[in-house]
Amino acid sequence: MVTKTNLKVAIAHLTSRKRQAVVAVLSVTFGVGLFIFMKSFVGGINAQQADLVFASSAHIRIFNEANSQVPNIIPNTETQVVNVRNAKAIQYTEGIKNAEKVIADLQHNPHILSVTAQVNLPATFKNGSAKTGGVLSGVDVVNEDLMFGMKKFIQNGSWEELDISNNHIVIGRGMAEKLNLTVGSMIAVTSADNVSKNFKIVGIVYSGTTAVDDNKGFIKKTAALQLSKKNQNYATDIQINIRDFEQAMEIALPMKQEVAYKVESWQESNQQLVTANNLRNMISTVVPLVLIIVAGFGIYNIMTMTVNEKIKEIAILKALGFGGKDVIQIFLTQAVLIGIVGAVTGIGLGYLISTIMSKLPISLGTANHLIILFEPKTYMLATGIGLIITIIAGYLPARKAAGVDPVQIIRG
Amino acid sequence: MENLALSVKNINKYFHDPETFQVLKEVSFEVKKGEFLALVGKSGSGKSTLLYVLSTMDTDFTGSLIINGTNLEGKTQNELAAFRNEHIGFVFQFHYLLPEFSAIDNVMLPAMKLGKKSHEEIRGDAMQNLILLDLKEQAEKPASKLSGGQQQRVAIARALINQPAIIMGDEPTGNLDSKNAKGVFNIFKQLCKEKGQTIIAVTHDDDFAANCDRIIEMRDGILFS
Ligand SMILES: Nc1ncnc2c1ncn2[C@@H]1O[C@H](COP(=O)(O)OP(=O)(O)OP(=O)(O)O)[C@@H](O)[C@H]1O
Ligand SMILES: [Mg+2]
Repeated sequence: MVTKTNLKVAIAHLTSRKRQAVVAVLSVTFGVGLFIFMKSFVGGINAQQADLVFASSAHIRIFNEANSQVPNIIPNTETQVVNVRNAKAIQYTEGIKNAEKVIADLQHNPHILSVTAQVNLPATFKNGSAKTGGVLSGVDVVNEDLMFGMKKFIQNGSWEELDISNNHIVIGRGMAEKLNLTVGSMIAVTSADNVSKNFKIVGIVYSGTTAVDDNKGFIKKTAALQLSKKNQNYATDIQINIRDFEQAMEIALPMKQEVAYKVESWQESNQQLVTANNLRNMISTVVPLVLIIVAGFGIYNIMTMTVNEKIKEIAILKALGFGGKDVIQIFLTQAVLIGIVGAVTGIGLGYLISTIMSKLPISLGTANHLIILFEPKTYMLATGIGLIITIIAGYLPARKAAGVDPVQIIRG
Repeated sequence: MENLALSVKNINKYFHDPETFQVLKEVSFEVKKGEFLALVGKSGSGKSTLLYVLSTMDTDFTGSLIINGTNLEGKTQNELAAFRNEHIGFVFQFHYLLPEFSAIDNVMLPAMKLGKKSHEEIRGDAMQNLILLDLKEQAEKPASKLSGGQQQRVAIARALINQPAIIMGDEPTGNLDSKNAKGVFNIFKQLCKEKGQTIIAVTHDDDFAANCDRIIEMRDGILFS
């Protein structure tokens, strides 16, 4: 610990150079404040992006790969014979035939939070002459809500009513607008192999993702199985949520060995998003870090000036019997004081900017203001980096001061 | 041996800049405990240089230096710092105080570093020293706001605070009027007599020197006792 005397000398040095001390503190304040704000801001954007992704797909998805392959109808060589089939026709004839067993096996995995099976069918949605293509999604009504928070996306009507009847459907807002439909209207759905059925709309969903809002109709899984003439054990997709979505890739990896179907983490199916997130993360780290390091150079500079200016006093202290350790302590204390005051005010600044920005009415997707995270770990990280940089910046001049030869200085 | 405050043997010291020359030549002498010694000599003869060697601040020399029975050869800088904090009081040729600190805080510094007494005790001691040097009114003033003579007396008060075995002064009364110089001389004399402290003072003041127990003289780096 710093001795009382050394602390007193350190404070005397700081207060005798108030302006430089204030500049040094402010440079840390801005560095730390900006670090906190940018991290929280980008964290918010990334979390919102993830939310959008997770509104329609889970952390990990299991499906039959044949489904998703778009057949290449352009021959690679002139001699190659291309078998052109209707891709839609084969899409749902594949799928997962033993869904229940696959799900039962997954229950043992401790990382998994929830699992639900879906029967997704390409379909045409019609209202009179107006029609649009999309996906009819047969779901477990309760589980689907648990995993994707469907209830909170319902704009009109209700999600629960879906469970009441095999004739009920919930459709996306975009589709409802396009087909001019509201809650209570009837909608005709035709599957890819021309089976048609009328459903009654019980809810309109608005999730903020076009994949859902413009394309999807939700019905009970049993209704979808009926429509596609499949047995209970069939599903096209098994959706899995895990405890920490950041770990989806690691957790999906061993599952790829155990499950006979394609296992895909959200990162793999949203590579663009992951890249964008990483890029944002990088910028939000590098920019403020550079700022803090620049602040560090500033402190280094100011501390070096202090050492040069106070070199006589250092010589006196050493002549009086203060050791090198005391001198290091004196200057390091100054740096730490600058760092602490800068970090604390920086936390305040970061919090203030974050709060103000989070209140501004800027709409993005389903949110009507910026999503900014308030995570203690960001604040701690910023404080830690700020302190470490100031300590390093203070240590180098302090070591120089400790090496001062008192005789040389006192002799003049 | 027991009653020797200081013993130096064959001290040689060179300066290399701008050209090599020998500033101290085979300097050897002894000082008894409680002795008041005057070191005289022409300007540039090497008095200050010798004093810095004796004070343990300057370690760039050859020869042996024993203070209060402790051989200081081979000690680290930090050990030497701790040693002089406890055993040596130093008054520089030009009074060197911490300008931001008050007079009394300056006086307290070496004792605070030593850390053997409570803050209150040290403050009491420091106040007594200031009173002794007729500085009672200046105690709380920042050092930078004191006159040259006052600063020099604060430096003397500071040199005495840890009751060091040896007090070294480089023209400790150089900046004082004759009345104050007399006062300081009397204080030194008293410390030697009553507390058995040893004093080595560089001086150009013939009166001052004449009243000391013993005079040694530097001439071009050679000591004549
Ligand atoms: N750092 C140094 N480098 C080179 N030569 C030095 C250095 N310091 C002192 N000298 C020289 O050493 C000699 C002795 O200097 P010193 O300061 O000991 O003299 P002094 O006896 O104290 O003189 P004064 O009475 O003027 O204070 C002088 O010739 C001086 O020029
Ligand atoms: Mg001199």
